Amino acid sequence: MHPSEIKNFNKLPRLKTSYIKAGILVSLLAYWGVILVGTFVTFN
Amino acid sequence: MDVFLPIAQVFVNPIEILLLSAIVGVLSGLFGVGGGFLMTPFLIFLGIPPAYAVANEANNILATSVSGSTTHYLKNTLDYKMGLMIVIGGAIGTSLGIFTFSYFKGIGKIDTVISLAYMYILAIIGTLMLVESLREIDQAKRNVLLKKKAHVHYWIHGLPLRMRFPKSKLYESIFTPIIIGLIVGFIAAIMGIGGAFILVPAMIYIIKMPTKLVPGTSLFVTIFVSVIVTFLHSFNYGSIDLLLVLMLVIGSIIGVQIGQKLGERIDSSGLRALLAILLLVVGIAIAYDTFFAEQVQVKIQSSVNTELNFFSSFIIDFSKEMPFFYGLFTIMFAIILGVCAALIRRFASNLKSKIFIKS
Repeated sequence: MHPSEIKNFNKLPRLKTSYIKAGILVSLLAYWGVILVGTFVTFN
Repeated sequence: MDVFLPIAQVFVNPIEILLLSAIVGVLSGLFGVGGGFLMTPFLIFLGIPPAYAVANEANNILATSVSGSTTHYLKNTLDYKMGLMIVIGGAIGTSLGIFTFSYFKGIGKIDTVISLAYMYILAIIGTLMLVESLREIDQAKRNVLLKKKAHVHYWIHGLPLRMRFPKSKLYESIFTPIIIGLIVGFIAAIMGIGGAFILVPAMIYIIKMPTKLVPGTSLFVTIFVSVIVTFLHSFNYGSIDLLLVLMLVIGSIIGVQIGQKLGERIDSSGLRALLAILLLVVGIAIAYDTFFAEQVQVKIQSSVNTELNFFSSFIIDFSKEMPFFYGLFTIMFAIILGVCAALIRRFASNLKSKIFIKS
């Protein structure tokens, strides 16, 4: 295997972790969005 | 088989209540968190009106905290002086909380306020817990050790009227525990929770008590706060249902024991993220009920057509005719249940060690 290919292969788990982290962050933002918008709509 | 709760005026399945309180008890014992902020929403989902769920869960917390506190008393891991200072603030906070509760009940908004309070508390705790546990997992993978500051001073440490707390080896302003107690008492009165999720971090990071004294002292404070909350709810609204309390106490005491045993065997730090997700899910379920469901389908049935048995009639008459004594009785009932649970646990533990030594 070419060294550059090995380098890319090693990057995969780190990339996966970043995607999971981004997914959790987006979910939390969506969650808070629903709660805040819901509260705003209920009191209007 | 459904059972009619005479005070809450609803039919509930006792097995459901026992199972749920046992599950919440297991989580409590496993993660060292109070179960109030999970059990009250579950009671609401089962169809018990929020105002009744709050009051009865407060009585359940009283029984479980008496049980836990008795164990810590026997182990001498309690700081009474610090506990009493927090209780002073707790008493003021509870009274303010009941006043706020009465105001929202008066304008007919109490159920919405309780639901919103739960939704936000669960969302905040769930988010913080999830972020913290993900960070811990990340650090464990990278083998990173964080250097924490030994002493962080907040404005609260500069307050006057300092006092010595020999057991905790602290020289602290009396206002620090009083302010913390005030916040805990206020939240406990409105939400029917023990407030350990605020009290424990505050005792460790703000008051800086030794960690071994924290659980016992926190339970000691919770006893007084939940006594005041139970009494005021019982006296003002007659909302304590002894039958519901009995089911809750039995379930949660058994659950806590199982949870503590499980906690000794497995590492719960990885599971903390799952608890955080559970909290967020419960929070969003409350949000759905509050914002989107036009009318939550509850099994509320009028008692008009229900023939009450002797026990139910007795509870209703007792709570209406003698609210003061009913309040005292509910407190004594919870305390006796809690002490009995602690004694049974001690007896079982002694018996187990004797058998272990013999074999």
